This record gives sequence, C-alpha cells and structure tokens, in this order.
Amino acid sequence: MSYKIPMGPYHPALEEPYKLDLICTGETVSDAKLHIGFNFRGIEHLAESRNYIQVIALMERVCGICSNIHTLTLCQAMEGLTGLTPPPRARYIRVVVAELERLHSHVLWAGIAAKLMGFKTMFMTCFELREKVMDVLQAISGNRVNYSMNRVGGVNRDIEDPLAILAMVEALEREMIRTVIPIFTTSKTATSRCAGIGVLTHEKAVSCGVVGPTARASGLPQDLRRAAPYAAYPEMEFDVPVQQDGDVRARLLVRALEIMESCKILRQALTKMPPGELYAGDKLEFVTGTATSRVEAPRGEVMYSVSWKEDSRNPSRVHVRTPTFANMPAIRWMVMGARLADTPLIQASIDPCYSCTDR
Amino acid sequence: MTLIDSILEKLGTAEPWIEKGGVHWLTASALNVRDLAKTMNALQARFVTITAYQLPGTEGMRLEYHWDLDGQLLGFTFLLASNSIESIYDLCEAVDWIEREIHEGFAVDFLGREYEPLLLRHGDKPGVNLREEDE
Repeated sequence: MSYKIPMGPYHPALEEPYKLDLICTGETVSDAKLHIGFNFRGIEHLAESRNYIQVIALMERVCGICSNIHTLTLCQAMEGLTGLTPPPRARYIRVVVAELERLHSHVLWAGIAAKLMGFKTMFMTCFELREKVMDVLQAISGNRVNYSMNRVGGVNRDIEDPLAILAMVEALEREMIRTVIPIFTTSKTATSRCAGIGVLTHEKAVSCGVVGPTARASGLPQDLRRAAPYAAYPEMEFDVPVQQDGDVRARLLVRALEIMESCKILRQALTKMPPGELYAGDKLEFVTGTATSRVEAPRGEVMYSVSWKEDSRNPSRVHVRTPTFANMPAIRWMVMGARLADTPLIQASIDPCYSCTDR
Repeated sequence: MTLIDSILEKLGTAEPWIEKGGVHWLTASALNVRDLAKTMNALQARFVTITAYQLPGTEGMRLEYHWDLDGQLLGFTFLLASNSIESIYDLCEAVDWIEREIHEGFAVDFLGREYEPLLLRHGDKPGVNLREEDE
C-alpha cells in the first residue's frame, strides 16, 4: 500500500519554501510531485516599471547567493541593446567576482550537504571557509551579498590591489586542498551517504535539459564559460570537471573539483588583470529590440531576454530563466526508488534556489 | 553545409538565419513548433526556454523558443494571433514548467496537454501574473 508524505513548503530539510509530495511504498519513494511558487514575487513584471539603473538593483535581488550573476547577465543583455563594450579591465573584474561568487556558493552548498549527511563538523568547517570568501567579496565591493559591481558597459568598482586579493585566494585554496576536498572525496561518512544515491541518468539529464553541475555530474560536458565564453573567459585556461555516475557523490565531486578550477581562474584573472577604464560611456542609448545573454552561474546556465523600446527609460520585458528552474523537475526522477530518509540530501544535491525559481 | 544551415533544410524553410547579438534567429510564418521540436531532438540540441511577449492592443502574443546547439543559442519566433499554440511537452520533457508558467502568466494555451498549477495559488486564474488586460 502506498501513502503520500508531504515535505514542505516549510520543513527543516529545505532551505527555502517548496513542497515535495512523496508517494511512498514502505520506506521507498515510488514517485514525487513538486510544488513551487510559495514566494512568487512578480519580479519580471516589476522590472517593467524600473528604469535602466533601477532595474539592475532590482534584478540583483532575484537571488541572494548568485546576485552578481543576475546583474552580469542583465548588463550583458543591455549592452547588446546599447552597443557598449566593457573595457578589458572591467571584463577581468567581472570574472573575478563571478568566480568568487561560485566559490562561496559551492562552499555554502558543501556545508548544507554536510549538515544533511549528519556531518556537523564539516558543516562548521565549510561555513568558516565561506566566511573567508565573503571577506574577499566584502573587501572588493564593500558588500557581503548584493555587491553592486555591474553596470551597463562595465563595472562600478575597481579591484585596486589584485595581488592582495590573490593572497586571500591562495589561503582559501590551501584550506580547500587540506580539508574540504579530501574529506568529501575520501571520508566514509560522505561516501556512504552519497554513492549510488539519487541517480539522474545521462538520458534523463538530456531529456530534462538540466544545466550546471547537475548536468556535468551526469556526464554532460556543458559549461557556457567554455562553450559560449563571455567577459574575460576566452583568455582563461581551466578544465570542466565531468563525472559519469549521476549520483549525489558525482554532484559533490563536480563541485569540489570546480572549487579548484575557480581558484585557478581567479589566480589567472588577478595576475593578468590589465590596467584601464572600468566602464565604457556614460550615456546609454537603447535601440528597439530584444537581446539575450547567458552566463554560467554556480548552479548552471542563467539566461536573460531583455526587450526595449527606443527612447524608453524602462525595459518593456525582462525574462529570467534560472538554472534551478531547469534542474528542479529532475528531482522527481532522482528520488524515485530512493529511501525516504535520503530525499532531503537528494533534493539538496542540485543546490536548489527557490528564490531564483519563484523570482 | 554547416550544421545550423542544415536545420533550415530540415524545417523546409527558405527563410535565412538572422544573426543578432550572438543568437541565430529564425522567424518563419510557416514554421510548425512540433516539427521544430522533432528537428531539435534529432540534432540533440538542448532546450533552454520560451520567452513570452504580449504585443500591443489585440495583436496577440509572441513566443520565442530557444535551443542550445553546442553552445550556439538558436531562437525561433512564433506569432500567436489566437493566443494558443501546440504543446511540445510530449516531444520535449524540458518544456513542462515553462509552458505551465506562460499559461499561468499570460493565459497562453498550449494545446494537447494537461496543466497542473505551478505558480498559481487557489482561486487565481491564468493571466493574473503578467498579462495586461486588452484595451
């Protein structure tokens, strides 16, 4: 006999509100239904009433973790409508902030995953490390969450001493190599809770159109930084970690390896940062039309479509496709056949952001 | 013939690609969305999203379908006078949520599929979130 167990929308295992209706037979999940929209904010509609400066501040608040990515994607789309090209230094600064954001997002996720595994010591270690990344972001931008770094045509703030930031990044990298990565990749606690759990097969990953680390953990080598590079990524050398197993452990490994790749990119961007202007042009003249932009956020591809009418101060339409919106439906296939006790960790393994999804 | 050009041949359209802002756009009045989905599936392109635009007055809606083909973003534009279009959910699982969201946000009907509420709460009706009333 099967029965339904509702998990959420407000539940200790969920960081933000959404609901999983789990259909179970005994302790085994046979199917699941997902429900979102509990914090729907109508931000896309709100954006139509904001001018070209206000809309950047608004879209920065779509997500608390990857706030910079949203302004970066929006600004790149708006640059397509204004014809502005960011100067080289601004493109490097965009890469630095984007990679720092990826680092703090991945370490935050690692901490939450550790907590859900029952590995509280690791949770504390990850959050201590994340604080160090946040300190770097604060040193650059003055802010810990919404950095206000991007503007149309460039960035608002300089990184005055890139080599000082480099020292902080190297300290971070040492700590990652010394504690986080070995524990996540070799400890029995992590392995026993993650290996073979919540499998998303390669075929299902393709048909669901998943993105980011979730896709790469199921053998899909897709990464916009490589496939459709933006900012200064064409000048960066890095690898795209891919795992084939599609389970929680594979998603954990992909993120752990991406932390190392982010450090590699940061080192290059900080040491090779060219001198020069921070932005191109003060006067924005929008042409009528639609522009799109895509960026590889920590959770995967973010896409913005922005529509403008000439002489208007406000966009006529802003559409946001966030990575979690693409990844969340796949949770249904990950939890099918899983033990009920594993579902909190499985749903967390895509690093879901309901704030982005509800936007 | 490039892979992208072969799409035009498969779709049987004489319209050319228009490259704008790094996106290859195709707007063809005779384009069928289901044929398009089958072609994209055959090429193993990844579905990205659909963006809906409400046109002024009673002109209807414009839908832009996006697929990624090896990092190249492809955009296909459909103009809807009747406020409805065939669903491709049975051909492309990844469209499920965005079709439901556009149905709820703009009251566009994707024909041939069932809907379950995605963002709507009890008592709301499709179009409540984003659609402006026709004047």
